[in-house]
Amino acid sequence: MRRIIFFAMMKRLLVLVVVASCLSFSCSSERAALPAGSLTALLPGDEVSGWERDGAPEEYEGEDLYAYINGGAEIYHEYGFRRVVLQDYRDGEGRSVSLEIFEMGTPAAAFGMFSFKRSGKGRPASMGDEAELESYYLNFWKDRFVVTLTGFDESRETVEGLLALGAAVDARIREKGERPALVGALPEKGLDPGSVKFIRGLLGLNSIYSFHTARGLLFEQGVVGLYENGATLLILDYGSKEKAGGSRAQLEDHLMSSDRFTGIDKDESGLFLVRDGKGRALCLTASGAHLLVAIGPDPSACLEIVGRAL
Amino acid sequence: MDKKIRRREFFKRGAQAGLAVALGQGLIPKASGRSFAGAASEPVGVAVGIGADFGKATAKAVELLDGMGRFVPKGAKVALLPNVQSRHPGTYTKPEILEAVIHLCREAGAAEIDCLSWLTLKHWEDTGLKAVIDKEGTGLRIFERDESLFKAVPVPGAKALAEARILTAFYDYDLLINMPVTKDHAGNKFTGALKNLMGLNSPVNNRTFHRPHWKTDPDDVAYLEQCIVDLNKAVKPALNVVDATEFIITNGPFGPGELLKPHKVIAGTDGVAVDAYCAGLWGLEPAEIVQIRLGAEQGLGEIDLKKAGVKEAKA
Repeated sequence: MRRIIFFAMMKRLLVLVVVASCLSFSCSSERAALPAGSLTALLPGDEVSGWERDGAPEEYEGEDLYAYINGGAEIYHEYGFRRVVLQDYRDGEGRSVSLEIFEMGTPAAAFGMFSFKRSGKGRPASMGDEAELESYYLNFWKDRFVVTLTGFDESRETVEGLLALGAAVDARIREKGERPALVGALPEKGLDPGSVKFIRGLLGLNSIYSFHTARGLLFEQGVVGLYENGATLLILDYGSKEKAGGSRAQLEDHLMSSDRFTGIDKDESGLFLVRDGKGRALCLTASGAHLLVAIGPDPSACLEIVGRAL
Repeated sequence: MDKKIRRREFFKRGAQAGLAVALGQGLIPKASGRSFAGAASEPVGVAVGIGADFGKATAKAVELLDGMGRFVPKGAKVALLPNVQSRHPGTYTKPEILEAVIHLCREAGAAEIDCLSWLTLKHWEDTGLKAVIDKEGTGLRIFERDESLFKAVPVPGAKALAEARILTAFYDYDLLINMPVTKDHAGNKFTGALKNLMGLNSPVNNRTFHRPHWKTDPDDVAYLEQCIVDLNKAVKPALNVVDATEFIITNGPFGPGELLKPHKVIAGTDGVAVDAYCAGLWGLEPAEIVQIRLGAEQGLGEIDLKKAGVKEAKA
């Protein structure tokens, strides 16, 4: 009797192992095909109850992105864009959701693009490496992918559809990504987490603050965050102390000669203070390979934030 | 250097100026809520129809300009240029506004009304504008991105764009009604009436607005904006009807992004004044938008809204 029970248990175990192996093989073979194959492998099929594909997917690669995002592709290329796949979904009531999966060059680029696209005013969602749900759309990033789902109304059913379809894409992306290390240079105290943006060039920088120059702003990467005292801290990484110092000198020269900035002051410690045409105070200093710029309602707020970062 | 001041004075000036400037998320300015409404006797350069019924708001804006008959003569062939760039909310011209403009043109006695585009039929279908065109029985002329379909048009007084390349078919028409949606733009922060004319210019020529090795530095942006201004010297719409009912103020021009919903439709012949008004809707200073400032400096229109004359009315 014991032998019969033992064999029955072994048989059940064997079946479970075989089933698990098949499932595992099925999933891994599908995922393994992703990098070299079409991005359509990341698109949910019929596994999201109530939502089905509407039309055929579209794919764009490299410079062809201009054909899809006419007039708005530059920012994707600044971060490092590879390709995108688009697919519409429709439910039985005629509601529609548009899915875009952007493959960027690196996880850092994906985080950067995500940080550029999110408003910071939405609510976090448990999806991918980081997600934000707005009133009618959802953005998340995972590994080197940025995923945007757009609903065309703000109904509960549509928002549930965004989340369900997003979760299905999330499940199909196996790897996770790491935020760029530079994000860690922002002091945590008082930082609004939703305000953090990672930038790779002047287009991203100009969307945050325009110095009305390119002089001294050929940085390699940058990060920005908003603090509780109203000051925004911008940290630009130049890769070396020498480049950061030279860039700082160029930027200061511009600020001193530009009619857009007034009230220039520089002290022995190296802090440089200026005020822009809208009355905002700016405080600049260099630290190692970084240039630190605080922009705030008053100089004391700027100095406080720079002090936290040094 | 005479601009230098001492740090103590710097702090003092800041305090005196009451510099409680809320930078906000990503330093994005907020809607100012300013009103530029002028007195009834003043000339109307910018007419604003306000209301949740976007068709009625459109009709009201045109009515404030003394009606469509002022711009569309009887028997005229009318070209319409709505924005169909993306179907994300707040990124394209509303179908209700297109429908209202078609009705107004018909009432004025237009003989032919066509929308022109070198974007795809799918763009028109996805935005719901194709359905309006089908319902109204007006024309939709979609052109391939084939350079032979565009003709070279010298730009008088050009500073950057010596020659535009405009859809040849455009010259089949007596007049143009420019119908953009105002919204954010990642490159130059703002898009409206002036920039929408790129929809008539060839995509290849539009790409030349971006200088080689584009870095979005101020010189690159200035060049791009000057090209937009130059394009407006080559093509002059009879009327601009701008959708400011709801539009994105982040992630432009494609979206999705944060929506502002002023429920306004703006009409006027002066693209600079119309854009200056639209920029103010979301707290932007018109003079800070390079294409608006350059357009005013080069005589395309009036950037000072008090001089332009603004009239607002609820539909």
